[in-house]
Order: sequence, then C-alpha cells, then structure tokens
Amino acid sequence: MPLPEGRWIDVEGLRTRYYEAGSGEPIVLVYGGNFGTSDSASSAYTWNLNLRPLAERFRVIVPDKVGQGHTDNPKNDDYTMRAVVRHLAGFLRAMELPPVHLVGHSRGGYACARLTLEHHDLARSVTLVNSGTLSPGVGTNEVVLSRPPYPKYTAECVRWVYQSYSFDPRVVTDEWVNAVLEILALPKYRESVRKIEQEKLGVKLFLPELAREKRETLQWLNEGRLQRPSQVIWGFDDRTATLERGIELFRMIAQHERRSQFHVINHSGHFPFREHSARFNALLARFVSQC
Amino acid sequence: MLNEPVVFLHGGVPGVTPYCSGPHIWGRCLELFAAERKVVALDLHGLTVDAQVQEARTALKEDAVHLVGHDLGGLVALALAAEAPQRVRSVSAVASVAAAPTGDGVVNLTLAHPPPPLWSRRSQAWALERVSYSHQHIDGALLDACERAARNNPPVRSEEFQPSLMAAKARLYETCRERGYPVPAQVVWGTDDPLGSFDQGLWLFRLIAQKQRAAQFHAVNRAGALPFREEPETFHQIVSAFLEGVSER
Repeated sequence: MPLPEGRWIDVEGLRTRYYEAGSGEPIVLVYGGNFGTSDSASSAYTWNLNLRPLAERFRVIVPDKVGQGHTDNPKNDDYTMRAVVRHLAGFLRAMELPPVHLVGHSRGGYACARLTLEHHDLARSVTLVNSGTLSPGVGTNEVVLSRPPYPKYTAECVRWVYQSYSFDPRVVTDEWVNAVLEILALPKYRESVRKIEQEKLGVKLFLPELAREKRETLQWLNEGRLQRPSQVIWGFDDRTATLERGIELFRMIAQHERRSQFHVINHSGHFPFREHSARFNALLARFVSQC
Repeated sequence: MLNEPVVFLHGGVPGVTPYCSGPHIWGRCLELFAAERKVVALDLHGLTVDAQVQEARTALKEDAVHLVGHDLGGLVALALAAEAPQRVRSVSAVASVAAAPTGDGVVNLTLAHPPPPLWSRRSQAWALERVSYSHQHIDGALLDACERAARNNPPVRSEEFQPSLMAAKARLYETCRERGYPVPAQVVWGTDDPLGSFDQGLWLFRLIAQKQRAAQFHAVNRAGALPFREEPETFHQIVSAFLEGVSER
C-alpha cells in the first residue's frame, strides 16, 4: 500500500518531510528507531498499512522524525531523544494542529509520552505500542538484534533485523526491505550513521542522555502527569519488548488515569500494526472516536 | 456490508451465584451494539454447562454470528463455537472466571456470606456491589430485573453443575492445545475483578492464543466482574473493534 506523496515543512530550520491523508480528528503516527543505524532504518513507510485505511475516517499524519526518513539531521550534532521530542513538538505547532491523538511505536512511544508530559496542550490521547524504550524493566533488543550475521546496508541484514522483530517472518516483504534500503542510501542518513557509529555519539551521547531522561519520564508517569486517555497495545510475541513490560507500563498509567486500556494482540512481534493491521486499525479508530 | 448479528450469553451459575443474571445484566451496552448491528440476548436456564450449550445452539439461527459471553456465558460461548465453528465468526469471553484456569487456587471469599434471605433485592444488591469496582451502575432497573428473575425462575442448584463445568473446561483446554481454538477469540477483563485476577484472564488468553492467530486480550481499567455495565462505552469500543477487525480479514 503506497504512502501518499510526501510534503515538506520547515520546523525550526529543519526541512521536515511528512505524509498526510484524510480529514477529521487528527491522528499523528510516530514510528520508532533512531537516526544513525546501519542495519535497519524506520521511516514513514513503517505505517503504510495504517495511514490510508485510517484516513477514510480521520486526518492522519506521519512525520519523519529528525534525522530519520527524509527529514534533516539535527543541528549542532544534537543526536539526542530530547532533540527528537523538541522537533516533534515543533512539527505539531508548525502544522498548526489542534490537540492530536498521538500514536507512538517503540522509541516513538517514548517520544509521544514525553511530548505529552511536556506539552499537554498538544495531545488529546496517547496510544503506546510495544514501547520498550518507555517501559520500565530490561529491554532485550541488544540480546535479540546485536551483531547481525550480514553486512550492514544490505537487504539481507535489513530482512534479518525485521524478521527477528516479527512473529511471522513472511510479513517482511521485499517492499518493506526496499523502503528501508532507500533511506539507508541517502547521503544525509549516511552522515548520521557516521556520527552515531563511527564518532560513537550513540554510546557517548544518545544512550546516556536517554537513560537520564527516562528516569525522569518514568517518575512523571508514576506521579500521574500524563493526564490524557491512554492505551497500551502490545504484540504478544515480541522478543525485544516483552509482554511483562507492557503490563507494567499499563499499570503505571492506569493507576492515575481512569481512561486507560491495555490490549494484547496474538501472533505478533514488535509491529502489531503491520502483522495485524485490520484489527489494529479498528482498535485505534474506535479508541480515538471515543476520546 | 451488512454487519453480522451479535449474540450475548449471560453468566451467573443457576442456584449458586447470589445475584440472578439473565439478559437484563447487559443493561445499556445492548443499545450501544444495537446501533450498529442486530443484537440478541439469550436467556439461558440449563443446569449444566452442556445443557446451556445446547440451549444456545438451538436458539441460534442459520446465520453466522459473533458471540459475547459473560463468566459462565463465556465458557458456554467458547464451547459452542468449538462445537460448531462454522456458525460462529468470533467469541468474546468477558470476565469469564468460569472458563479461566484456576490450578490449585485458593477459595475466593468475595461472595462467601450473602445477607439472607438469598436472592432478595437487598441480597442481590449486596452481591452485585461486591463483584463490582464501583457500585454506580447498580440502579433500580437492574435490581427490579434481578428481583423479577428470582421470582420467575426460582434458582435451582444442581449437583451436576460443578462436574459439568470441569468437563467443559477440560474439553476447551484440550481443543486449544491440540487442534487449536477454531475461531477468532478474545478475552476481556476488568483490572479490578474481585472474582478473578488479571493473571487468570491473561492465562485464558494464553491458552486460546496457542494456535489461534486472531486472539486478543483486553483490560478495562477500574472495572470489576461486570465491565460491560461498569464501563459500557469502553466495552462497546473494544468488542466492536474486534468484530470489525475479524470481519475485514
């Protein structure tokens, strides 16, 4: 299912790519991953099975995060999650959107929660999908995905990474792999890989900064600062962000927010919205309509 | 596309549960579903699980339907769909402690000492409040209906009920383990169900999920054993999303 034609908008000096379709209540889909990875690369394509079906009833927007997809890399080598959240908030303001329904997957789930915690005026509801980045407890990404057995930037490597994430390896289509390879080939993306991997900004800057901020973010969730209708959706068979972590995250949110829901989708790895798109889309549409 | 009908199966064990369940237990949630599809709420009286399965089977017309069952009704729905999968599009088992595994659990004391006389208005109100997270949904209409149910169908207890329950559960677990549960199924659970823990609900899901691809688990926050009464909008949202999602495949 192809994405609509991409559009551009300036967000605090960063040329930002986004995809949009439909009208009505605005839903913003935020994918996971981060800049500078050479074995895989998330981009707006990640949501290609959701954007158009949901656009039949809603205004659906998928931005490329800073340094990912076709959007510019961060200024001043600010390769941090803070820069991602700031850019995302800047994007919503630049688009002059009313409070939106945020849907964040994986690292995008962290970004959506943090964005809501800092800018309540921008969020109407929050949907968090298999976000190990946001959940308390031990993440097993590095266990499942470390040192792929194929050279970086290759189709074999990309396929191996997403198959390792998934329940059913057949969901990793050539179209998906090619969409990732297209991003990996962009000169500006190669530049981010140089920064994150060669100059080691990943281990020296991104990860320690994220760890510091995550402590605060979890504290804020525990204090009940999210204050928006929230749902946690989890692929049951995700080996990188296991179910227990989703349950713990749900409990943190649910203790303070009556309108909290928890959903588990069977035979799904890290990407339930790709492995079971029809039921995921129905779940999201019904939730948004009720908020 | 014409939406397939949804058939509701109430819970409550005849002669045992200290509130009288029946079609009235679904309350306002039936109206929410009726806005989108044909709704049928069965009135089941069988004294064993098998008797209720046969009652429900007879009541179903030829068309394929979605089943939504509460507690014992959840087990009846799961058993019925396993028996006649071509007649059932999906099953939603709600707060179905009857269907969930208990292992060597400890006795649940929530309803241990109902005030006499049993099945009086006051005694039923007590029971409904005990199984709920909040008493707000217990209104005059519900109590009237429960009183009426006690009058019209005086509760009878059968010694055969418990053995029939254990046998039905064993058959369900065998189906899940061996050939796999044959139709899309989901488990809906209140986070604060005094009769069954979150874990029990999750285990029922795990059993179904072994071999059924279209299986889901949902938790309704701040709801007890009657999530469809306590949070009708949320309940309707979750269940209808599933009916919609499985129909699209």
